[in-house]
Amino acid sequence: MLDFIARRLAIGLITLIGVATITFFLMRVLPGDAAVMLSGAGAGAISEQELAEVRSKMGLDRPLAVQFGAWIGELAHLNLGLSLRTGQPVASEIARRFPYTLQIVVMAMVIAVALGVPAGLLSAARAGSWLDQTLRALSVGGLAAPSFWVGLLIILGLVWLFKWSPPLFWEPFWVSPWQSITQLIWPAIAVGIRQLALIARMTRSIMLEVLGEDYIRTARAKGLSEKVVVLRHGLRNGLLPVVTLIGFEVSALFGGLIVTEAVFNVPGLGQYVVTAILNRDYPAAQGIVLILAGIVVLGNLTVDLLYGWLDPRTRIQVSR
Amino acid sequence: MSKSKSSKSNGTPSYPSRRSLLKGSAGALATGLTAATWQPAAAQKRGGTLKVSNGGDPPDFDVHQTATFLTQFIGAPCYSTLMKVDPDNPDRLIPDLAEKAEVSADGRTVTLQLRKGVVFHNGSALTAEDVVYSLNRIKSPPKGIVSPRKGLLGNVEEIRADGALGVTIRLAHPQPDFLMLVSNPFNVIVSRAVAEPLDAQGQGVKRQVVGTGPFRLTQAVDGQYYELTRFDRYFGQGPMLDRIQFFPIRGEVERGAALQSRRIDACFFFANEAVLDPLRKVQGVTALRRPTPTFINLIPNVTRKPFDDPRVREALSLAIDRDAFIRTVGPLAGAFFHSRGLMPPGSPYSLTPQEIKAFGGYDSLPGLGGDVAENRKRAIALLEQAGVPKGSKMVILARGDVPAFRDSAINVAGQLKQIGLDVTVDIRDAGAFYKMETGGDFQLVTHSVAMGGASVDQILGEGYTSYGGRNYGMWKDDTLDKLYSEQSRELDPAKRVQMVRRFQLEFLKTYYQINLAWVGYGAAHLNTVQGWKALNDLYANMQMDRVWLNA
Repeated sequence: MLDFIARRLAIGLITLIGVATITFFLMRVLPGDAAVMLSGAGAGAISEQELAEVRSKMGLDRPLAVQFGAWIGELAHLNLGLSLRTGQPVASEIARRFPYTLQIVVMAMVIAVALGVPAGLLSAARAGSWLDQTLRALSVGGLAAPSFWVGLLIILGLVWLFKWSPPLFWEPFWVSPWQSITQLIWPAIAVGIRQLALIARMTRSIMLEVLGEDYIRTARAKGLSEKVVVLRHGLRNGLLPVVTLIGFEVSALFGGLIVTEAVFNVPGLGQYVVTAILNRDYPAAQGIVLILAGIVVLGNLTVDLLYGWLDPRTRIQVSR
Repeated sequence: MSKSKSSKSNGTPSYPSRRSLLKGSAGALATGLTAATWQPAAAQKRGGTLKVSNGGDPPDFDVHQTATFLTQFIGAPCYSTLMKVDPDNPDRLIPDLAEKAEVSADGRTVTLQLRKGVVFHNGSALTAEDVVYSLNRIKSPPKGIVSPRKGLLGNVEEIRADGALGVTIRLAHPQPDFLMLVSNPFNVIVSRAVAEPLDAQGQGVKRQVVGTGPFRLTQAVDGQYYELTRFDRYFGQGPMLDRIQFFPIRGEVERGAALQSRRIDACFFFANEAVLDPLRKVQGVTALRRPTPTFINLIPNVTRKPFDDPRVREALSLAIDRDAFIRTVGPLAGAFFHSRGLMPPGSPYSLTPQEIKAFGGYDSLPGLGGDVAENRKRAIALLEQAGVPKGSKMVILARGDVPAFRDSAINVAGQLKQIGLDVTVDIRDAGAFYKMETGGDFQLVTHSVAMGGASVDQILGEGYTSYGGRNYGMWKDDTLDKLYSEQSRELDPAKRVQMVRRFQLEFLKTYYQINLAWVGYGAAHLNTVQGWKALNDLYANMQMDRVWLNA
């Protein structure tokens, strides 16, 4: 098992190096100029000489290979560099924002799993009934509604009904857990609705397939209760693809919260990455992409390990 | 401009007269400034925290190096300028750091006397050396420091300290607008001791805010909030508030929601009427829209064919129905206002309806009764004469994140199709847009230019000269530059009016820039916010020293 983890981590490291390389050059290929953006862009009266001085100050006048080498060198020392825009260490800027994004992702997935799996189970167990039809319609609606639109509707609805809008000061979870949860519940719902719908549909589909298997028929023939048949024999076997989906969605959510964070004004990674890209703040944008890539790598590894726990057959394959 | 003209209640647009602005400049020039007289009234309450939403995080706090309100709104309460616009009479200047300003008989020497006992937020005393360093920093920035407004002080030959509190500025030629220009809200006075070493490193005062203003920056948490705290050793009568907190809320809908739910007390920047209009109906909220020195122009790149041909540029102007433009784009981008000429709506320098109607397409301004269909026929004929075939492809560059740019471009593209051109819009993000625009990598561009001041020299000098910072179309015209220079140094206000009018008549003939509309920005605040007046310059009166909360 340790070999397996080590092998996967090594592959993950190679992936991250690839991501770092691609991100670095992609940011440079983007049309635009960090010096222009950082020199009062839009004011118009900045001379080419002044811009050249700013580029020189930021080290952007060096050959790309030199810039890349310097950045990779810093990365080797776990240093993401300084933000061109604020002059602050990128790592500390990310560290300050990461908890908010992480909390939204966790809350959204808790909502999605807690409601989506039972909804899918119910739908499958009562396939063809009015309940199934209703849940299917709702899940299609949840998939179709973009999270930023749901977010805006939530905000406008709350302002209209309760004169409530997102807070101005966001409490980190470790400072005030309950307040933090109540603050982030709305953005979590806004993004969680899509995941909920996705998980419900996947669970239904898988459970319909599983419930038609021979071993389910055998279990029923043994006289087990329907609850035991569905939950113990059906659900455990049907969960594997759902876990894969959850793992994938968690990774995707980290990078997909940009608009929702903007709508609710949450000071998370999404807002930071937008600001970084718009301002051509290369170290910041590269740093965030790298962190997000790391989360995807770790997410995939976690899913693989969960597989082993859920399905002993994969554990045996891994140990061989 | 009288108080009654400056703004009517709840968003009714008004057209300020700027006749007295001219008088005000000349008056200050001739007689010097009078001492500040504002005192807080007994009924005005001290204390409290004003919560303001800004449109995002400021890139940094170096006011000299920036052009964005995101920085200026936070910087203004922390810094002082030499003089400032009187909120009670926006056409005249009142003292800020300079208690006296005198101009010599030949108009070339400005002598400033600074207040005694002014201290910076770090406790050091303000001296003339700080003023000299600050003005030189704007005029000729050190290496690695940029100064978007250096042109404002382009007429300055020398700045020197006369003793601890005296400053003498020698001008190359007389300039009636000089006191207005040097007192631009962005031209704040920084501490030499703080700024000089940082400038030498090429950093500037991007994170260090040490001014003499009524508030000092005490917390800055990017992405969350910026807190200013009352400066107890402020030299003026204020401030009334204990604290100001700025919250970066990007979306206008979200800013409106925050105001409606009383999370914030004020937002001094709205563009979208769809957000502002509902706020007018909310009890306890004041929402208004005011014209500002911001214009939206269609700018052809004259270094590219066929835009080097004035007939083509005139045809573009002829094709545009400005009335329709204002009615369509206005609610989205605030382009509600129109002027007759290059100066803001209601300017004493405005042209007559007959004069403006002589220029292609400008008779379609609201109320002038132009025949758009006839204009477009003329446009097609001009294109034929210039050898531009029907169906010619043209691209308008636009910035995607600002409605004033994006929606203007889309509207104009639609209108230009009416004269047989195949026009598309190239929407880019800010980073790509500015690179392409400043590099001349475009055919046509729509640009909403927000001037950092309303004086003639600011608008014409920056916006409409060959060497001005806003000459995105890259034209070169010695005649226009000469006319600008002549009016800039004319001391007789009556003569100057004629010269400014002549400049406009000559400029409009060239179609180097095609004026579409002027912009009015919105502002909204709870009625508990007292003592703030919306002036017709977005950046003026943002020091917040007189603001108090009637909570």
